[in-house]
Amino acid sequence: MSTWFILAGSAAVVVLMIAAAAALGFRQRARLDEAEISRFAAAEGLNVEQAAIGEGARSAVARLSGGKILVVRVMGDGLSARVAPASATRIGLRGARVRIEFADVGFPPLNLQFNDAPPAWLADLAQGAAR
Amino acid sequence: MREPIAPPFDIPDIITYAVPGFVVLILIEMIYVRLARKGRYQVADSAASLSMGLGNQIAGLLFGGMVIASYFFVSHFRLFDLGWTWPVMLACFFAEDCAYYWFHRIAHERRWWWASHVIHHSSQHYNLTTALRQTWTGAISFSFIFWLPLVFVGFPPEMVLMFQAISLVYQFWIHTEAIDRMGPLEWVMNTPSHHRVHHAINPKYLDANYAGVLIIWDRMFGTFVPEDKSEPLRYGIITQLGTFNPFRVAFHEWAGIARDLGGAKSLREVLGYLFGPPGWSPDGSRKTSASIKAAWAAQNPSAVPAE
Repeated sequence: MSTWFILAGSAAVVVLMIAAAAALGFRQRARLDEAEISRFAAAEGLNVEQAAIGEGARSAVARLSGGKILVVRVMGDGLSARVAPASATRIGLRGARVRIEFADVGFPPLNLQFNDAPPAWLADLAQGAAR
Repeated sequence: MREPIAPPFDIPDIITYAVPGFVVLILIEMIYVRLARKGRYQVADSAASLSMGLGNQIAGLLFGGMVIASYFFVSHFRLFDLGWTWPVMLACFFAEDCAYYWFHRIAHERRWWWASHVIHHSSQHYNLTTALRQTWTGAISFSFIFWLPLVFVGFPPEMVLMFQAISLVYQFWIHTEAIDRMGPLEWVMNTPSHHRVHHAINPKYLDANYAGVLIIWDRMFGTFVPEDKSEPLRYGIITQLGTFNPFRVAFHEWAGIARDLGGAKSLREVLGYLFGPPGWSPDGSRKTSASIKAAWAAQNPSAVPAE
């Protein structure tokens, strides 16, 4: 069998498997709420001071005790979180949209969309982090 | 220099021939999970795992020749002429499995090799597609060096490669939550139960059950931990990935190493970031498996796992 034939076959199989998973309804999404945010903070031995969950509850950010921030994003039916000093993140605000960037390649920039303006504490955090 | 002893029969492309079996078993497992509600699938996660598998295949085409060339090169300097006899093949099976154990253990204990192997652990799920979530950088991080001693002793290169392929195919089916414990097989073989422990991130399960085909190596070298049905397993890595992007999955730890090396202030720090345990930092501020296990053991003195 030629290499290209094997690779093309593998790619076709990948598409078939993904289609099968979708057809079988494996599209469930994790629930992201304040309890989950508190759980992530507690795992680090920290408390949540302020928290904001983005539109659609796909991502969230929280200010924790100890000058740290927590971000959480929905990963399918799981969640992924990062805790970092506020100074180690870059927070950008544009209207009702907030973008939080990390040095970690395994956790791409987090975008949060709010119905109205982002909470004031987040704007303060953005100004503080930018300094 | 002596030419390697050629096999007396044509060795089939074991992995390629196993692929149809992989496909059928994944479909069966998906249907079983849907009907029995035992185990978990998620389409984005499976897509990432399968994409990593496809990328691994491409990486194999690009760099696999380097591995094979290394085996044949070392074979020229072999100590003994171990031919293609049944006793030698039996010995090679055990030797390959032992080499796999040590490769796998070091791939968890040293960041250079963990940077490749972390990919396989980066799913928060444990199903047959997780088995196919394989590294793209195994060959170029010299993972194959752990098998070179076998060739140096005198096992023919093709024989070692054959048992590596058999081991890889064996390890596919143990990535499932659909199969419970398997009775007496649990004593000798690596089973779904044993390998679930290996993929779990509960502190008591960290750095355990490195076996390929036979669990005996973990029992011999003190890394065996049995599955505790009273504690639900959590899968993935300590700092779960926040992406399904295959390229970020493939290279995130390498990028982390590069970032750390950029800030290293001494040769000790360079070596620590490269070959220290994953999570090593000069001031010890980051978490390693050892520190996580120690903290857990301090809080749960009566729950330290024992066989």
